[in-house]
Amino acid sequence: MTGPAAAQPTTAAVRRLAAVRRSAGFATRFLGRTDGLVGVIILGFFAFIAAFPGIFVGPLEDVTTATGLPLHAPYAAHVFGTDELGRDILNLTVHAARISMTIGLMATIITIVVGAVVGIVSGYVGGVLDTILMRIADFFLVLPTVVLALILAPVILDVIGAGAEFGGIRATLLVIVVVIGLTSWATTARIIRSQVLSLKERMFVDRARVIGSGPGRIMRRHILPNVVNLIVAQAVLTFAGAVFTETTLSFIGLGDPVAPSWGQVLNTAQAAGAPGLGAWWYIAPPAVCVVLVVLSFTLVGNALDDILNPKSASRLRVVDEP
Amino acid sequence: MTEQPIPAMLPLSPADIRGRRQWPLPKLADPNAPLLEVRDLKTHFRLGRAWVRAVDGVSFGLADGEALGIAGESACGKTTTALSLVQLLPGNGKIRGGSVELFGIDLVQKSERAMQRYRWREISMVFQGAMNALNPVIRVRDQIAEPIQYRLDQPEAAARQRAIDLLDMVGIPRKRADAYPHELSGGMRQRAMIAMALACDPAIVIGDEPTTALDVMVQAQILDLLERLRRDLGLSLILITHDLSVLAETCDRVLVMYAGRVAEEGPVRRIFTAPRHPYTRKLVGSFPNLHTDRRSLAVIQGQPPDLLTPPPGCRFAPRCDFAMPVCTEVVPPEVRFSDGVRVACHLFPTSDIATVGGSTLEGSTLGDMTQR
Amino acid sequence: MNGRYLLRKVTQAIVTIVAIVLLMFLLFRIMPGSPDRAVKRPNITIEQVQALKAQLGLDKPLVPDQLVTYVRSTLSGDLGYSFKFRGQPVTEVVADAIGPTVLLIGLGELIAIVVGLALGSLSGWRRGGLVDRVGNGVSLILYSMPYFVIGMPMIIIFAAGLHWFPTSGMTTSGGSSDAVSQLVDLGSHLVLPLVAVSLGLIGGYSILMRSSILETRAEDYITTARAKGLPDRRVLWTHAFPNALLPMVTWIAISLGYVIAGAITLEVVFNWPGIGTLTVEALDSRDYPLLQGIFLLIAVSVVVANLIADLVYGLLDPRVHA
Repeated sequence: MTGPAAAQPTTAAVRRLAAVRRSAGFATRFLGRTDGLVGVIILGFFAFIAAFPGIFVGPLEDVTTATGLPLHAPYAAHVFGTDELGRDILNLTVHAARISMTIGLMATIITIVVGAVVGIVSGYVGGVLDTILMRIADFFLVLPTVVLALILAPVILDVIGAGAEFGGIRATLLVIVVVIGLTSWATTARIIRSQVLSLKERMFVDRARVIGSGPGRIMRRHILPNVVNLIVAQAVLTFAGAVFTETTLSFIGLGDPVAPSWGQVLNTAQAAGAPGLGAWWYIAPPAVCVVLVVLSFTLVGNALDDILNPKSASRLRVVDEP
Repeated sequence: MTEQPIPAMLPLSPADIRGRRQWPLPKLADPNAPLLEVRDLKTHFRLGRAWVRAVDGVSFGLADGEALGIAGESACGKTTTALSLVQLLPGNGKIRGGSVELFGIDLVQKSERAMQRYRWREISMVFQGAMNALNPVIRVRDQIAEPIQYRLDQPEAAARQRAIDLLDMVGIPRKRADAYPHELSGGMRQRAMIAMALACDPAIVIGDEPTTALDVMVQAQILDLLERLRRDLGLSLILITHDLSVLAETCDRVLVMYAGRVAEEGPVRRIFTAPRHPYTRKLVGSFPNLHTDRRSLAVIQGQPPDLLTPPPGCRFAPRCDFAMPVCTEVVPPEVRFSDGVRVACHLFPTSDIATVGGSTLEGSTLGDMTQR
Repeated sequence: MNGRYLLRKVTQAIVTIVAIVLLMFLLFRIMPGSPDRAVKRPNITIEQVQALKAQLGLDKPLVPDQLVTYVRSTLSGDLGYSFKFRGQPVTEVVADAIGPTVLLIGLGELIAIVVGLALGSLSGWRRGGLVDRVGNGVSLILYSMPYFVIGMPMIIIFAAGLHWFPTSGMTTSGGSSDAVSQLVDLGSHLVLPLVAVSLGLIGGYSILMRSSILETRAEDYITTARAKGLPDRRVLWTHAFPNALLPMVTWIAISLGYVIAGAITLEVVFNWPGIGTLTVEALDSRDYPLLQGIFLLIAVSVVVANLIADLVYGLLDPRVHA
């Protein structure tokens, strides 16, 4: 692409992106894939439950409002059975959907924003800044989130104060969001940086036009639109990881019993001895939900990645190329 | 190698060459059949629900001790033809018609299992870009010894020794035999590939652009090597290249392909000095000549056709200076001339005594057909 | 393998470990609430806190006194004293718990490497075949399941339900004393958690190996190998597999961090007396010295594992020289 067309990388890139998204081609390609289709349906279902729990169950039960027999297998009044306090498992699971998905969403936003900014700046500016940023990223790549969370979460929680609330979100959950975000950005940063590096090569053709624009402007108006596709696909895959990690962190005790996520429900189940007692009804619903959500995010993320970035360098492609 | 090198002056007859084989002919072979006879080969690639007609009716033959060059632009089907001979097509490729007869045995009919018996022992290949064609984690000597050990059932030590001897024969010093591919230069890697191709004393060696990735000096050395080996070992060679100078130097006959079909085929001197097919003329003419006017480069206008939906009739017609209405409607039949050249072009129509198809080897020695 | 490569990798590892120690220093001596955090425990008075701080030198200036002391004591193996375990040195507490975890993870990795790599190779080599479709699907689901989500149903079905295996623990207390029956007892307790760890790992390994084999299969030297008329089996295992293995080596080492995280959750589920159970106990009681000790152990292990992977890669790939 040379000449006047190349002189408008921003508009061209944005137009291309919009065209891809809006065209019937994209929709049919996406939904034509089994993985994309199944993933979207499952996610839609869970998003709906998370947004409108009231349609399915009453308010979140606690010790005082529990009506069922303790730790009972499913029966007429409670079709998913009850926990050790007599609370309805269906009730718990539906409300936990909102917690798990919200935490996942917020953590993903932090991860993607930090990762994209670091990736773009590091890739574009290069030099010493790039080296330093990537060394830091390497540190976070080596140590997985759960391991870092072991000491980060309790300390940060201690600093903030366990009972505090920020904008209606309890401190415990906020800490999980922050910890996941702080530790997961490195993968995204590296992937986006790769893309930016190869974009930088092509940018030399456009240098003549962008002389006079500061680096911030170039990054915002020229590079960013060209990595948006990559960011979108990465965001969905990150969401899968965030839900996965949050479930693990809650399970080992960093969650909030007052606002339980699926991981927290499983933590309580474990503490009540559910597996040893064979209380499958306590464990199956939250477990199945987690697996379905993570699985469908992964499927959708890979479908998006395949369609939007056919030659992308993002590794860990879990699903087959068509 | 047990054979003595034969002085260059003595030409070998096909019978001589066949008699010098290290191993007996394959079980099903017909001793009187020509070495290789390809008839109307059609190889297509599946793309979604459609087929790309990469090779669409190619016929040629190869006699013992002969060197046949296959020339043409990129994507004209040269490599696909070669891969079709040994059924090494990528996943979506399929031979959909024609026959490939090796000593009279039709290889197209063979299953993958059966093909394994013929590969390398009868037909071996030298690929372009030996850096990628050699396994990076296995020593060169071991890669050459492998077919000797596993296809010829030789013990490991003997196979390794023979591999080192082969490397020596192609000019790689013995002490470098245990190197890994990346430790050798481009030229040495290509030599190693040639040594590997010779490991089982095959009847035919196919070289797919064996010198293209190399610089000119090394290219000359490799060609010399090939020529010497051909002479000493009585090799039959199929050389695929887009570089006409290489063909002129090394081959006895040349097959010119265009868009999956044969445009012209004949003895190398005839093709170069008196090309008949408009494409061949352009090809030969576009090659820069040291001795003539250097101010402009003759270029063939246009692009090769899309092989998913090829044009009806002659595929060169859209770019041909001599195109006639019939060219866009009817596929030109092949015509044979007395000087041994075959052409498929409406400029040379068949007469009532012309033969179309049949054995191409026959045609080149029979004196028949009119000339235009 | 080049000495320079070795030196570079070892230096990187050391730098990372230094960063880890500094991070801990930051969290426990610099962040708000420190250093009281390091000595606080339930039912302690302010005076006792002050006394402890003086005793441990926590009232001295941060830099250089505290930093130097901190680094020196860490390097010499003095990691403080756990207060959950009544003043036992952290090193002792951790050392007691390492064995079971190493047993579980070690055996699990062994099984997963053999099965996962083989399955992935066969899947990718005969892409689209039955092995591929079933294997890939199962791997994908396993990959989306946190380890404890794999473990819990196993207890419910095989232990609580079928009574084939015990529901928890590593050994049966009060069992007989002869070696053979002790070994059998250990074995029966080991089966379920081991299978859970292995399955968790197999998911990821299989998917990545499959991907790697698919890429390798398209290489020219594989065409050469087939052209030599070698049987398909040999082309796969002698030519394709060694090349496809190279990126897996790195992945196996990187995933150690995630295995440890997963093993922590599994130990909770199976009541396995290893580092995982210890971690959860330390988290619950905010036993910061113990937490620091565990974190240091895990983090250093992960860094060392990455280093070993780099070195092994250097040995396996003859192209790596500088």
